[in-house]
Amino acid sequence: MPARTSLSPVTTGWLMLSPALCVYLLFAVYPMFDVLVMSFSSWNGLTADSAFAGWDNYRWVTTQDPVFWTALWNTIAWTLLALIVPNLLAFALALSLNQRLPGVAPLQVIFYLPVIIASIAVATIWKWMYDPFFGLLNATLTGAGLSGWILDWLGDRQVALWSVFAAHVWQSVGFAMVLFLAGLQSVSPTLIEAARIDGAGRWGVFRHVTLHALRPSIVVVVALSLINSLKAFDIVYGMTGGGPAQSTQMLAMWAYSQAMQLGNFGRGAAISVILLGITLVIVIPYLRWMLKTEEPAR
Amino acid sequence: MSLFEQAFRPVGSTRRDPVLVALWISLIVVAVLWIMPFVFIVFTSLKTTSEVMRSSAFAAPTAPAWSNYAFAWQTGDFGTTAFNSALISIIKVPLGLFLSAMAAYALTRIEMPLRRALFVLVVFGTMIPFQVMLAPIFRQVNLFGLINTYPGIILPYLAFGVPYQVFILYGFFNAVPRELSEAARIDGAGHFTIFRRIFLPISLPVLSALLILDFVATWNEFAMALVILQDMDMWTLPLGMMGFSSQFSNDYGELNAAIVMTVLPAAIVYLMFQRYFIAGLTTGAVKE
Repeated sequence: MPARTSLSPVTTGWLMLSPALCVYLLFAVYPMFDVLVMSFSSWNGLTADSAFAGWDNYRWVTTQDPVFWTALWNTIAWTLLALIVPNLLAFALALSLNQRLPGVAPLQVIFYLPVIIASIAVATIWKWMYDPFFGLLNATLTGAGLSGWILDWLGDRQVALWSVFAAHVWQSVGFAMVLFLAGLQSVSPTLIEAARIDGAGRWGVFRHVTLHALRPSIVVVVALSLINSLKAFDIVYGMTGGGPAQSTQMLAMWAYSQAMQLGNFGRGAAISVILLGITLVIVIPYLRWMLKTEEPAR
Repeated sequence: MSLFEQAFRPVGSTRRDPVLVALWISLIVVAVLWIMPFVFIVFTSLKTTSEVMRSSAFAAPTAPAWSNYAFAWQTGDFGTTAFNSALISIIKVPLGLFLSAMAAYALTRIEMPLRRALFVLVVFGTMIPFQVMLAPIFRQVNLFGLINTYPGIILPYLAFGVPYQVFILYGFFNAVPRELSEAARIDGAGHFTIFRRIFLPISLPVLSALLILDFVATWNEFAMALVILQDMDMWTLPLGMMGFSSQFSNDYGELNAAIVMTVLPAAIVYLMFQRYFIAGLTTGAVKE
């Protein structure tokens, strides 16, 4: 060991690690435990004292709060659809952009552009697209002679959630597309050519070479879209605020509304804990998979 | 030229493939659909309210009403909100990256107890969405008396930004040949010197990718700012735009001008540095 440095390597290590670790533990990990404690107490957010409430908050949320069940159902339906619709579209786009076609680069830029726009701005953009009187969507329908299809897209309880979802698709397709494209670029052309020579058709090459090479990308995209769906907040907040009549309410936003708008921190925390639980069910297997692929090479 | 001659021909074939031509046409159709909202927003932002009501939604503005932008900028107090957003990003993004890089170095290059456990803790953090627990974050920031302050928003931003960056840099630093740092160690250099003189310079490409990704994420963040920055003077750009849109929802031109002004900085950064975006996303998510 060289002696010229004054600090031992381990001390230096802790010094370099601790700023990031402290801020992470204080403002990300601690609130996660705090929300658990909070969910068993009643606190209005203003007074200093909070009383122990046992399971009261959970009982209230699950038995007396009809919005909770709407929000849970919406979150589940949204998550399942967000897993399928944008990702299949992204997959198709990535496969197409990976062919020898002219203008592939600018097309890629266009599809990715919505990803970098603030979700709250996406919400406002689409709210305007859906404007019942002057919005682009209804103008298009009128122009196409389909005035009968015109709806109050964000004001109708039957369709509002899916109108918001369409905006989400527009925003999220580019992200998955880029991840798929990166995976596709790792498929070796020689392998494809070899499969061709061996007599594999378009479908055979796709199934045995391309899809196989894409397996890690697919896992990543699936996991990320699950996690992203559970935290859907900005876009719902900006487009409908949970309305009309709480029909587009989602768990993350309902937890926020209960705590920060209605002052029921205990009930809000109980909703957060339930959502956190659902998140962990998805995160933990993914975490194990990631750690397995990330084994340090040494 | 040669590129175009290869177009529409599958790998290893010289024939023009009709399937590829059809594919290309559908790509163009989707691209047009994708770009429509932007065109619509920009058009509306340059129309007066009466023109919005009179003209077709598809029509370009006849006489661009630039005054919409001036009105939105002043009434929406965009000077203040843009300043707040810029200040928060300028402090948070480089600082967070520096802290993450130091932590990643310590985790990869220094034999420390609990190293593996700490790494698992970090990776775990990359997947926990803060939107799920806005209220406890509010309570924690409130405990430090930092509601409505710059540190009050920067600290949680750092906390939720650090894990992803440490994770990416951990992978990158691990790939740096051991001999490089060991030679420097033998020459008597301390770990911090090696980090600053060797690791920071060689990881510039990754650092710039992370910098740009994080800048856009910080610039766009809404939910956390909503909870912590409640005072209008402290609002960031997304909060200001949301406030403007609820107040002036019937002033279509001005509202769309506000949207354009909010979206434009991130869009420009993206168009200038697209390559870094792709690099930053894919180094982390997809490994060979």
